[in-house]
Amino acid sequence: MENTTSKAGEVLDRFLARADKVAPYDRDTSLYAEGLGLDSLETAELSSMLEDDLGTDPFSVGIMAQTVGELLDFYEA
Amino acid sequence: MTDPSGRVVVVTGGSRGLGAGIVQSYLDSGDRVATCARTRTDQVDKWANDPALEGRFLFREVDLANREQSTDFVKDVIGAWDVIDILVNNAGVARDGILSLASDDDIDIVIDLNLKGTLHMCRVVGRRMLSRGSGSIVNISSIVGLSGYRGLAVYSSTKAAMDGMTRALARELGSRGITVNSVAPGYLRTEMSHGLDEGQLQQIIRRTPAGRLGEPSDIARIVQFLTAPENDYITGQVIVADGGLTA
Repeated sequence: MENTTSKAGEVLDRFLARADKVAPYDRDTSLYAEGLGLDSLETAELSSMLEDDLGTDPFSVGIMAQTVGELLDFYEA
Repeated sequence: MTDPSGRVVVVTGGSRGLGAGIVQSYLDSGDRVATCARTRTDQVDKWANDPALEGRFLFREVDLANREQSTDFVKDVIGAWDVIDILVNNAGVARDGILSLASDDDIDIVIDLNLKGTLHMCRVVGRRMLSRGSGSIVNISSIVGLSGYRGLAVYSSTKAAMDGMTRALARELGSRGITVNSVAPGYLRTEMSHGLDEGQLQQIIRRTPAGRLGEPSDIARIVQFLTAPENDYITGQVIVADGGLTA
């Protein structure tokens, strides 16, 4: 499962680069507002990219991850 | 956007009528085409058995009002060809009759397929397009969504709603390189016009400046135009193609 988690991290990094939102972050960094600053469309993009690469994503199953850690934890479950 | 010669196109309801005309158009332009319908037709078998189309045509029997089936259809297309460049939401059903006499089923069947089925396909395929940052969606609407038609209140409602969906999605997805447009045909010489008697058809022709009913190829050419990569400045529009009937 660690591989899946690290792959989710890779997808997040790829998405942030594509969205021109490259910035330091850790597990406690918020995905929104003063954190990574994702808006609803960017969240949908990230959700789609995660599903494409990993077959599932938290947002599609109703889990609204608030932080990077919560996002990665979905793949550890 | 992938090379136009090898685009992956999904056309819902492509087994007959207008849908089949759109499928044929994209096969003729060298694209890979996936289509679905509730039942196979001779036309589907003809495409499926044509050696020249091997690897370029995919068909599934799907009831698009069933979300699980339509999701599986999209997964099959992605499994076969990895991407979807173009989605043409053509599948639709009409139940004619005065609304006051319509049953709950008459209303639900039309809304479940025409509106909810189209929304679901836009959501599922739109996610794939969002992930790639490109794509084109064309919704096949109807002039009755703009003008209304006696006896088609439910059908007209779904087509008007579809045009609203087109405008909203164009705004939602435009910044990600995805175009969304509607084409609103007038009266075509297809199975969908079979509910009209000869007198009604002749009356429509008399009132149509072009002096004829439309053909599927009239609409397919517009769909091709809207999904050509060089035409990506057109989005959120409803293109009326009715021979001037509503001019």
